[in-house]
Amino acid sequence: MSTPLLEVGGLAVRYGVINAVEDVSLSVAPGSIVSLIGSNGAGKTTSLRAISGLLAPAAGSIRFDGRDLAGVAAETRVAMGLAQVPEGRRVFPRMTVLENLQLGAYLRPGDASVPEDLEAITTLFPILEQRRKQLAGTLSGGEQQMLAIGRALMSRPRLLLMDEPTMGLAPQMVELILERILEIRRLGTTILLVEQNAVEAIRLSDMVTVLRLGRVVHTSPGSEIGDDLLRDLYLGHDV
Amino acid sequence: MDIFGQLLVNALMLGAIYALAAVAYTLVYGVIQLVNFAFGELFMLGAFICVSLMLPSVALFGWQAPMPALPFLVALPLAVVIVAGLGVVVERLAYRPLRNAPRLAPLIAAIAVSVLLQSVAQSIWGPEELRFPRFALGQLPPIVLFDTIYIRVMEIFVLVAAIASMIGLTLFVQYTRMGRAMRATAEDPTAARLVGIPVNRVIAMAFLIGSAFAALAGVLYAQTYSFAHPTMGFLPGLKALTAAVLGGIGSIPGAALGGMLLAFVETFAAGYLPNGAAWRDAVGFAILILVLAFRPQGILGRKELNEAPAGSLVGEQVAPRGLFAPVDRFFGWLGQGNTVLNIALACIAVALAFIITNDYWLRILVFVVTYGMLASGLNIVVGFTGLLDLGFVAFFAVGAYFTSILFVLVLRGRFGIDPADIWWLFYANLFLGGALAALIGALIGTPTLRLRGDYLAIMTLGFHEIIRIVATNWIDLTRGPMGIRGIPTPSLFGMPLMSPKYLYLLGLALSILVVFGIARLVRSYVGRAWVAIRENEVAAEAMGVPTARYKLLSYATGGFIGGLVGVFFAHSQQYISPLSFSLFENILILMLIVMGGLGTFIGPFLGALFWIVFLQVAQGMPLIQAHPELRYAALGLVLVLLMIYRPQGLAARARVSLMMSK
Repeated sequence: MSTPLLEVGGLAVRYGVINAVEDVSLSVAPGSIVSLIGSNGAGKTTSLRAISGLLAPAAGSIRFDGRDLAGVAAETRVAMGLAQVPEGRRVFPRMTVLENLQLGAYLRPGDASVPEDLEAITTLFPILEQRRKQLAGTLSGGEQQMLAIGRALMSRPRLLLMDEPTMGLAPQMVELILERILEIRRLGTTILLVEQNAVEAIRLSDMVTVLRLGRVVHTSPGSEIGDDLLRDLYLGHDV
Repeated sequence: MDIFGQLLVNALMLGAIYALAAVAYTLVYGVIQLVNFAFGELFMLGAFICVSLMLPSVALFGWQAPMPALPFLVALPLAVVIVAGLGVVVERLAYRPLRNAPRLAPLIAAIAVSVLLQSVAQSIWGPEELRFPRFALGQLPPIVLFDTIYIRVMEIFVLVAAIASMIGLTLFVQYTRMGRAMRATAEDPTAARLVGIPVNRVIAMAFLIGSAFAALAGVLYAQTYSFAHPTMGFLPGLKALTAAVLGGIGSIPGAALGGMLLAFVETFAAGYLPNGAAWRDAVGFAILILVLAFRPQGILGRKELNEAPAGSLVGEQVAPRGLFAPVDRFFGWLGQGNTVLNIALACIAVALAFIITNDYWLRILVFVVTYGMLASGLNIVVGFTGLLDLGFVAFFAVGAYFTSILFVLVLRGRFGIDPADIWWLFYANLFLGGALAALIGALIGTPTLRLRGDYLAIMTLGFHEIIRIVATNWIDLTRGPMGIRGIPTPSLFGMPLMSPKYLYLLGLALSILVVFGIARLVRSYVGRAWVAIRENEVAAEAMGVPTARYKLLSYATGGFIGGLVGVFFAHSQQYISPLSFSLFENILILMLIVMGGLGTFIGPFLGALFWIVFLQVAQGMPLIQAHPELRYAALGLVLVLLMIYRPQGLAARARVSLMMSK
C-alpha cells in the first residue's frame, strides 16, 4: 500500500475541560474513500474540524502528504490541497452561485484553468449552471449541498473532507449526492467522509473508522462490517 | 429662498462627512460585528495630522517641531494613509487578541481605545484648538448660483471626494477579489476560512479602509469648520454611528443614505425650528430612536444583525489559575454570601470613618461610595441582566435635577421655604427621585425591548444624549450650563451633615441598603430570571421567562438606584451642572464595573475604589501634573489589557451565577 495522504495519530481535542476527542488515529490512502461514522456526539465533526484547522488539537499529530500540520492555519491547509465541505453546507447566502464557486477558487487568482474547473463542476451538478445568477440562500437544501461541494472542489483539493453531506436531504437527493461522491473520487480526489447514515457510508467506502464517545472503537474495510457489528457499535456494546 | 439654498448646501456638506465616517462603522461592523467607537478618534487624528503637515511648525508635547508645510492636496492623502495604518495597528493590538473573548470585551476595548487615543492626542497637540491653515484651494472665489447661493470650491471638493470614495468602495467590495473575500467573511467567517480566505487579513483590511474613511471625513470636517481639537471626533463619531445605524449597519448605500438623512434633518431643524441650533443634536437622536423602535434593522439593513450572537455577554466563569489565582481565591471566599463576613466588611467600612481623620481623604471616600452605588445600579442592567446600557447616567441626572429643582428653584425660589425646615424632604426625595428615574427607566426601556446587543447600546446612548441636551438647553427648568447652586446639605433633625465624615457615613448607609436590596433581588426568582436573560435570552424565553417584563424591571431597578444616587450626589456636592452627567461619566462607570467584575456585588465598589484612589495618587506624579489627561490614557490602557488577559474583571470569582448553591 502507498503512503497515506492523511495520517492522524493520537488526536485529542478539548472544549475547556471536556475531552471531545481522545486518542483518535486514522489514515487515508490516496484515491480512497474513508468514512468516519458514529452516533451523535461521537466526535466525528470535532475530528474533522481539527484536521481542517478550525480547532486546535490538544495532543496528537496530523500529517498531510507527509507534512506535519501542527500550527498551520486553516487557509494554508486549503492551499496545500485540503478542502472541507462543512456541516450544514454553509454557502454564502447573499452571494450568487457563481460568486460562491469563484470564492472556492480564492487561492487560485489568475489561474487559467479556473473556467475549466467551473465547467467540470457544472457537468457534475448541472443545476448549478441554471442557477448561477441566483443568490445561494434561495437554493433548496440539496442544491446548496451541491454548491458547497462544488465550492470546495474549486480549490482543486487532493483530499476532500465532507461533513454530513446528506444531512436533512430528501432520499432522492441523498442518492444523487452519494453517487456524485463516487464520481468525484473517480476524477481523482481522495475523500474523508463523516456520516450518520452508516449503511450508505459503509457501502461507499474503502475503509471505515468507527468513533464512540470520542474514541476509535473499530477500523476495517467497509465490506468487513456486518449488521451485527454495526448494531453493536451503535448500541454501545463493547467490541 | 436664500436661507433654504444655503441650508441645502450645508446639509449636503455635513451629510457627505457623516456618510464617509458612517462607512467606517458600517464596514467594520459588517465584517466582525464590532462597534469600533475609536473611529471618532481616528477621525480627529486625521484632522490633526493633516493640519500639522500643512503647517511650517507645530507644538507637539509643548515643543515647537518643524513641519513640512505641505499643500492641502498632498497633506490630505498622507494623513489618510497614516491614520489607516494606525487603524490596522489598533486592530492588531487591541481587538485581534479578543476574537474569542466574551461579547462585551471587544466593545469595552473599543471604548477604552477611544479614551486612550483622545487623551494621547490631547497630550501631543494640547487642549487648545488648532486652526486649519489657509490653503490655495480654499481661497478661490465662490461660485454663485441664482444670485443667492454661494458655493465654495472646497464644498464641491468635499462632495466630489465623498461621492468618488463611496463609489470606489462599492466597486471594490462588489468586484475585486479582496472585496468578495470581505463579503464572504461578513456572511460566514468559518466558511470563509474553509475556502482559504485569510480572515485576519480581511479584517485588517476592513480596519484599514474604515480608518481611511474616518480620517478623510475628519480632514474634511476640520476644513469645513476651520479647526482641529482633541474632542472634535466625539460628537461627529456618534453621529456617524447613528447614521450607519439609521441606514442599516453593514450596508454601504445605507451609510450614505443615513448620513444624508441625519444631516438634512439636523440642518433644517437648526435652520427653521425656534432656537433650533441648540436642539439640532436632540432632533438627530430622536430620529435614531424612532427608527430603531419601528425598524430595528435600519432603513436598508438586514434583520439578522439585530440578533445577538449566542453566548453570554460577560463570558464564562473563570477557573482560579495563573497570575490571578490568589485574587480569585480571595474573591471566591468573599463572594460566598457569608453573613458574618458581610457584616464584618460593613463594620470595616464604618470604622474607616473614624480611623481616617483627614477630611480630604474622607471626601474621596464619599466619591468612592457615590460611584460605587451608581455603578451598582448600572451593574443590575449590564452585569446581572446582560443589557448593554450606555445611557445610565441619564437616571443619575434625573434624580439630581429632581431634588435640586424642587429644593432650590421651587421651594426656596418660588415659595421662600428654608430648606432647614424641611430637612426630611431629602430622605423622601431619595425615594421619590429613585421612583421618578425608575418610571423613566421603564418608559425608555419599552422601545428598546425589541433590540439586542449593540443596537440596544446605541439606542440608550441616544436617550442619554437627549436628556443631556435637555439639561443643557431647557434653561428655565435646569438653569442650563450654569448649573444649580446652593443645594442644601443633608441634615438629620436639623443637624446638618456637613462634614465629610458624616457624608461618608450617610453614603455608606445608603450603599449598604442598596447592596442589600440588590442582593435580595438578585438571589430571588427575579435575579434568576435576569441571569437567565444574561446567559441566553432566547433560551430564557423558551423556558417561559417573560423576558420583556424582567428587562423592564431591570431598567426600572437600575434607574431607581441611579435616581437615588443622583439625589445623594446633588445634596452632598451642593452643586450640579450638565457636566456631571456627560457620556464620559457613563463610560467611566461602565469601566469601573468591568474592572471590578460584572455581575458581582463587590465589583462596582472595588472599581470605584481603584479608580478614585488612582486619581489621587496620580495627582502627585510630575508627568500627570504636566498632562492630567494621561490619567484617562492610563485607564484606557489598563482596560485594554484587562480585556485581553482578564475580561471578567478582578472579582470574577464573586460573580453570581445561574446556579444557586444554597
